[in-house]
Amino acid sequence: MKWIFVALVVVSSTLGDVLSAKGMKREEEVESLGPQGILRVLHDIVTQPLVLIGILNNAISFCSFLALLSVAELSFAAPATAAAYILKVLLAKWYLGECVTWRRWAGALLVGIGVTLVLL
Amino acid sequence: MKVLPGKAGSNLKHALLIAAVVMSNSVGNLFLAFGMRNMPEFHFGSVLRYVLLVVSNPWIIVGTALLILFMIGQLSLFTWADLSYVLPVTASGYIVTAILSRVFLHENVSNMRWTGVVIIAFGVMLVAETPPHVEIPAGDQT
Repeated sequence: MKWIFVALVVVSSTLGDVLSAKGMKREEEVESLGPQGILRVLHDIVTQPLVLIGILNNAISFCSFLALLSVAELSFAAPATAAAYILKVLLAKWYLGECVTWRRWAGALLVGIGVTLVLL
Repeated sequence: MKVLPGKAGSNLKHALLIAAVVMSNSVGNLFLAFGMRNMPEFHFGSVLRYVLLVVSNPWIIVGTALLILFMIGQLSLFTWADLSYVLPVTASGYIVTAILSRVFLHENVSNMRWTGVVIIAFGVMLVAETPPHVEIPAGDQT
């Protein structure tokens, strides 16, 4: 049962991060979480469809995560949601066209390995 | 490949924003776990009753508020940082979560899990040293 929720969380959180990153990149920089910054982000959410679709996916991921928490411990559930790390970085390179340097690959790989160890 | 120079005063602001994102995520998760501990196990047969139970739990309400703040914070990060930077750097939340789970939920975090946490920490440090945004000039797609 818990692996069904893990799969749901992984797919929806990947779509959520990649699509909202794509949507937010067109906007100006927000550097702090003051009222002005929060309003700017809220404005972007309603005006950028990709950000909204990303957030919907994050909502699905959040509900699946809540369900997961009722059948598994937090120290299992939280890292399980990170299983999509490598997938997200691959999409960052191919879909978002980011320059993924060797340090970032190595970092993402270490995070992925660390997460797998936590899962065992 | 060109690395954009940081604006004066930006680095501290950026570090504070990353810290706020990481902490709101980890503390939010902790509150959710507190809340879900008192819930019955999930069954597809009684979804509506289950949803009502969940949304009336104060721990879940505060945890959700923190995760909404986390979401807004992460969207702000995307305006000046690459996804391949944001993801590993905010993964430091797993380190904080492991410590919070041990201290506040008295969960048994095994040696294997702690080893995983240490490896995640090395990954975070590697990526944190790269510039948040690396520009690829047109015609230099590698």
